[in-house]
Amino acid sequence: MVWESFKLSILVVTAATIVNATLGIALGLLFAKGRFFGRELLASFFTLPLVLPPTVTGFFLIVMFGRHGLIGAPIYEVTGWTVAFTWQAAVIAAVVLALPLMVLSARAAIESINPQYEIASYTLGKSHLATFFLITLPLARRGILAGIVLSFTRALGEFGATFMLAGNIPGRTQTMPLAIYEAVISGDNKQAQVLALILTGVSVAAVYLTAKLTKGVLRY
Amino acid sequence: MQINFRKALASDKSGTFNLEVSFAADDEVTILFGPSGSGKTTTLRAIAGIIQPDQGHIEVGGKTFFDSQTRVNIPIQDRRVGYVFQDYALFPHLTGEQNVAYGIKEKSEAMRRDRARQLLSLFKVEQIGGRYPQNMSGGEQQRFALARALASNPSIVLLDEPLSAVDLETRAGLLDEIASAQGRFGIPFLYVTHNPIEARRLGTHAVVLDKGKVKTIGLPQDIFKQSS
Repeated sequence: MVWESFKLSILVVTAATIVNATLGIALGLLFAKGRFFGRELLASFFTLPLVLPPTVTGFFLIVMFGRHGLIGAPIYEVTGWTVAFTWQAAVIAAVVLALPLMVLSARAAIESINPQYEIASYTLGKSHLATFFLITLPLARRGILAGIVLSFTRALGEFGATFMLAGNIPGRTQTMPLAIYEAVISGDNKQAQVLALILTGVSVAAVYLTAKLTKGVLRY
Repeated sequence: MQINFRKALASDKSGTFNLEVSFAADDEVTILFGPSGSGKTTTLRAIAGIIQPDQGHIEVGGKTFFDSQTRVNIPIQDRRVGYVFQDYALFPHLTGEQNVAYGIKEKSEAMRRDRARQLLSLFKVEQIGGRYPQNMSGGEQQRFALARALASNPSIVLLDEPLSAVDLETRAGLLDEIASAQGRFGIPFLYVTHNPIEARRLGTHAVVLDKGKVKTIGLPQDIFKQSS
């Protein structure tokens, strides 16, 4: 159980982190630089999973992605497949729950850059896209890396929404936090201890790394 | 160059600040002079395309950058304006040499490097090209900033109080270097300052701004008398 849930957790969290990093940087940039009506409202929407009970977020995810859900139903119509109770569902839950940390970190990192650098880049003939990759992203890298580490950790620990949308199927959707739950209710303290130790170790390392990364975030 | 525009700006105090600038200059070094808050930096930003005037016409080297009537507004990237910012704004994650090479439009890496090296030696900073901006003195940053502004083959160089962060002893030397760089490249420099000594030493033409309006246009030696 330990090894299976460990492998599954790594798969789910890796996929979630790749999605989160890409989406989080894009949204962070949009909220930091975008000037459009309803910007803060939209930003709040993406922060919501941070404060909502994960089971409530999980419930909304079922409403969206379940077999009869708003997105889930048309997918089921066309493909006969539903994401609920698959490992991909665990990825969706991990993405949605961990994305706020990534968006907040990326936005703060991008906003902390003196806009003069980007303007200087434009005067030197560089496009917005080139400036983003050559100036904005490198200058925001520490805050963005901190966001990746934080959202990785959050995704690794995700329990409530995963349970709701993906269920608790050993070998298929049972990630480490779910495996701990299973181990405890079935009285298998040994397994629970091993899993708890692994998760605690990873979390301590992540918090330490985040502290290291954010220490110099305002250096520029 | 022909600068003629209006821009209403929200001011810190109540109401708006109306900037109304009109002057023509094709001299070597035109001084844009005035107290702080008179609209000098805003004028540079409008020429560079960082901000958009409400109305008017901006033309540099025969090329129209902005015209409200014909709805011309060339983006910053295509204006080919060299800009030396007040705090230099050298990219902190790049070395001095990489900063200078950043805007060079040569296809091959080797050609970009060659051109960057030439500019570094022109400003006598080839020995410290590998240094990062945070490890440079104000005068060194100023030289890299000027080299970077010239690297992209601009049609004009805008300098926003480039000596304000430099100590007095280095200023005189830098003024000479700015003058000689202008002579070598032969493109107009528009130099913002509120220091009459710099204005007199460097300028061949001067525009005095006050509260957003042009107050005087003339020769620096006439406007900035020794006594001032």
